[in-house]
Amino acid sequence: MSTFLSRLDPWWLPRALVLGALAFVIFGPLANLLLWTVAEKWYFPHALPLEFGFSYWERVFSPRGNAVESLTNSIVVALLTVVLSLTLAIPAGYALARLKLPLRGLVLLAFLIPQAFPNLTVYVNIARLFYVVGLNGTIPGVVLVHTTHGLVYAVWIATAAFAAVDAELEEAARSIGASGLRAFFDVTLPLALPGLLASAIFVFLESLDEFTGSYFVGAPDVNMLPLLLYTAGAGGNYQIASITALLLLIPSIGFMLVVERFLKVDVLARVGR
Amino acid sequence: MPSLTPQRLLGLFLVLPALAMVVLFFIVPLSASVIGAFEVEGGFMGGLGLDNIIKAFDFYAQDMLFTLVIVSLSTLLIALFSIGIGGYLTLGENPRAVAILRWLYRWPMFIPFIVVGQVLRTFLAKNGLMNGTFVAMGLITPMQATSLLDWRGIVIAFVWKQTPFVALLVAGAMASIDRGTIEAARNLGASRLRILFEIVVPQVATTLLVGMILSFVTMMSVLSVPLMINAQSPTMLTTDIAFRINAYGDYGVANALGLVSLLMASGVALVYLRIAMRERS
Amino acid sequence: MKTLFKAAFAFGLTISPVTAAELTVLTAGDQNMVDYVNEYLGPLFEKQNPGTTVRAVGTGPGDAGSQKIVERFDAQAKANVAKWDADVAVVHEKFAGPLVKNGYLENYRDRISTGKLVTRANADNALGTDVKGYVMPMFNSQTALAYNPALLANPPKSYEELAKWAKEHPRQFGYNGIKGGASGVSFVMGWIYAFGDTDADKLQNGPFDEADTKKWDKALASLKEFNANAQLTPGNAGTLDLLSRGEIAIGPVWVDMFYSWQANGQLPPDFKLVLPAPGMPGQPMHYVIPSKAPNKELAEKFVELATSPKVQAEGIVERFNWYPGIDAQHVQAELDPKVWAKLFTNVTPEDLARYGKRFPIAPYNNAILEAYERTVTK
Repeated sequence: MSTFLSRLDPWWLPRALVLGALAFVIFGPLANLLLWTVAEKWYFPHALPLEFGFSYWERVFSPRGNAVESLTNSIVVALLTVVLSLTLAIPAGYALARLKLPLRGLVLLAFLIPQAFPNLTVYVNIARLFYVVGLNGTIPGVVLVHTTHGLVYAVWIATAAFAAVDAELEEAARSIGASGLRAFFDVTLPLALPGLLASAIFVFLESLDEFTGSYFVGAPDVNMLPLLLYTAGAGGNYQIASITALLLLIPSIGFMLVVERFLKVDVLARVGR
Repeated sequence: MPSLTPQRLLGLFLVLPALAMVVLFFIVPLSASVIGAFEVEGGFMGGLGLDNIIKAFDFYAQDMLFTLVIVSLSTLLIALFSIGIGGYLTLGENPRAVAILRWLYRWPMFIPFIVVGQVLRTFLAKNGLMNGTFVAMGLITPMQATSLLDWRGIVIAFVWKQTPFVALLVAGAMASIDRGTIEAARNLGASRLRILFEIVVPQVATTLLVGMILSFVTMMSVLSVPLMINAQSPTMLTTDIAFRINAYGDYGVANALGLVSLLMASGVALVYLRIAMRERS
Repeated sequence: MKTLFKAAFAFGLTISPVTAAELTVLTAGDQNMVDYVNEYLGPLFEKQNPGTTVRAVGTGPGDAGSQKIVERFDAQAKANVAKWDADVAVVHEKFAGPLVKNGYLENYRDRISTGKLVTRANADNALGTDVKGYVMPMFNSQTALAYNPALLANPPKSYEELAKWAKEHPRQFGYNGIKGGASGVSFVMGWIYAFGDTDADKLQNGPFDEADTKKWDKALASLKEFNANAQLTPGNAGTLDLLSRGEIAIGPVWVDMFYSWQANGQLPPDFKLVLPAPGMPGQPMHYVIPSKAPNKELAEKFVELATSPKVQAEGIVERFNWYPGIDAQHVQAELDPKVWAKLFTNVTPEDLARYGKRFPIAPYNNAILEAYERTVTK
C-alpha cells in the first residue's frame, strides 16, 4: 500500500480531471451521433431515445439505396486522390522548400486558392469544363476535382516537412558519393515521411467528405456516399446522417491505422533510435 | 529579371505538374467567377464596374468583420490547444496519460463538417445533451442552462473539428526534434512549460504556422457549420454567398464576396510567407 | 478461362437491355424525396416498363438543391452537350421560371394524359413566369406555424395575435430568419402580406411596380421589433429541432417536413399546426423534363405515372401526408375518406383555401428579401 502511494505522483488528480474533461468534450458530441444511429424516437424532455432500433440502417442499406456502391466509390476515389496528390506534391514540396524558385510565394499561394475561394460559384464553371472534355460522370473526373482540393494540404505540408529536414544531411550523403536522387530517397524522403503521411491522412479525409464537386462531376454515374450524407444532414434527418457518418468513419480510421503502422515501423527502422 | 539557372529550371520542372493541375482545374474556372464579380449591366467597357463590390460591402461589411474575428479567434484557440496536446505528448512523463491522450484527441478529425454541425447543434442546445448531462450530474439546474448556439457555437465547432488536425501536425513535428536539447534543459532543472515554449515550440513554428493557415483557410470556406449552428446576423460570409446565389441567383455579389474571402486568406498566407522568407535568408 | 468468358458474356447479355434504358431522376428536397423515387415510384415504373431502371440522385434540400439542378443544366448548356445526363428533375417552384426562360425544358404537359388533371394556377405560372406546359406539380406544400400544445394550448390565429403573444412571451417564438431556409422566408412574406402597405394579391400575381418596394418600411420596422423578442433558429430543421426540445413553443415550418419529423420520431406526436390569418405562402414542387433528356418518351411516361390519381393518392397523400399536386377531386376518389381526412387534421380545407397563399412574384420576392437584409438585419 505504501509503495503504491509513493508511486502515485501528486499530479494524478488534475491530470485525471483534464483528461476526463477532454474525453467529455470529444465523446459527448460523438455519443450524440452514436445514439442517433439507433434512435427510432427521441425528443424532449427525454434525455435518451425512447425507442431503439435498426430501421434506419435498413433504409440506408436498402438494395436500391446503393450505399455500399457509394461507399466503395468513395474509398476508391479517396485512395486514388491520395496517390495522385502525393505524387504531385512530393516533387513540388521539395522544390518549394529546397530550390531557388522564381515567385515562390505566389506559387504557394496558388495552391491555397481552391480552399480560399468559396467554391459555390466556381463549380458551374468546373462542371462545364469537365462536360467539354468528357470527364463528367467518371471516376478520374472526380479524382481530379478532389486532388485540386487535396493539393492545398499536400503541397503546403510537404513543403514544411522538407524544410524541416536538415539540408546538410543530404549534402553529406552527396559528398560521400550518393547521386542526387539517391540522397533524396535515402536521406531526405524518410526524414520528411511523417509529415507527408500526415498530409496523406488529410487528403484522404478531405476527399472522403467532399460532396459539391462529387455531385457536379460524379453524379449520376459515379455516386459518392457524402451526397447521401449531405441530403440527410442538411434536411435534418439525424438518423440517416449519423449512420452515413459512422460508415465514413470506418475507412477514415482504417486508413489512419494503416498509415500509423507503416509510419512507426519505418521511422524506427530508418532513424534507428 | 533573374536568369534561369539549372537549379531554377529543375525547381520549375518539379513544381509544374502540381501547379498545372491547380491552374487548369481550378484557377481557370475560377477566373470566370472573378470576372463575374466585376460584371454589371451597362458598366464600363461592355459591362465592367465595381457595383457588385460596393454592394457586397454595403450589405455585408459587418459579416466580413464577423467572419474574420470568428476565424481568427478559432485559429488562435486551435493553435493553443494543439501546442498543449503536442507538448504533453512530447514531454508528458506519465506514459499512461500520454497513451490515453494520444488515443483520445484525434476522433473529431474524422467527422465531416456537416455532421459536426448536426451533432453540435443537438449537443450545445439549451436542452441539448450537454446541459442534460450537467443537470443530471447536479452541476447546474435546468434554469441555468443556456444555449450556446450563437457565435460561440461556431467557434466551438471549428475548434472541436480542427484542433486534432493541427495537433497531429504539431505533435509529429515535435516528435522529430532532437531530444538532446530537451534532456539537457531538463537536467538543468527547467520546468516543462519553459521547455515547451522556449525550446520545443520555436522548433516547430513553421509546422504550427502552416497548420494554422490551412485551418484558417478551411474554416473560411465551410458552409454547413454556420448554416446549421447560427445563420443569423451577423453571420459568416459563406452563408451570405449561398444566400445570394440561392435566393437571388446573384452570382455577381456572391463572387465579390468570394473575392473578399480570398483576399483575407491571402493576407494571412502572406504574413506566413514573410516570416518563412525571413527564416530562409 | 473459357467459362470466365462465357460468364462474362452471359452477364453482358443480361445487363445490356437494362443499361439501355436508364432513367435518371434528379430531385431537390429532403432524403424522403430520394427514397420516394428509389423505393416507391422507381419499382412501380420498372414493373410497368420491363427492362428500364430508375435511379434517383438527391441534390439536397431547399433552394440550394434546386439551384444545383439549374447549375447542372447551365453547365451542360454552355458546354453544348447534345444529350444531357438527366431525364426528369424535381425542382422548387421558384426555379421553374428561370429554367423555362433559359430554354432548358420540354413542353410536355399536353402530351401526357394526366396533364388535364391540373387546373391550379400555380401549374401555369411560377412566381410571375408563364410555365404552362413545362411543369407538372409533384405535390403542393404549405408553410404553417407548428406549436407545442403543452406550452401553448391556444395558439394565435393570426399574425396580429402572434405579434402580441410573442411580445408577452419573449423567446417563445422562433424562426430561421431569411438565410436559413424557406420556412423563415415564408414567415417574412406572410408578415408583409399582413402588415405591408401593399396589396397581397398584387404581390402574388403582379404586375411588378417599383413604387411598391417603398411601402414596407413600417412592416419591416415592426418585424425588427418583433425579432428582438423572437429566437432565431438555425435553419428549417433548426426550428423543428428547437420545437422538439421545448426551447420554443411555436414557429413556422413546412407542413411536409413537420410530418416527416413526426414520422421519424424526432417530434412528439401531439404537436400541432395552425395556419394564421391572413395567410402564409406555400409552393409546389414540379416535375420537369429537359429538352435534351436522353430518354424523353420514357421521362414523359414516368411523370404521367407519378401524377396519376392512384400514385398521387397512394404515394403522396397516404405515404407522406402531403397535399397532392393534381386537383384534389381526382385524388380523393382514390382514397379511403379516413386517409383523406387525415390530411386536414390540423389545417382545415377551408383554412387552406383562405389562408394558403403563394410566394410573391420573383421581383417582389427579391425586393422584400433585400429590404429585410437592409432594415432588419443591419
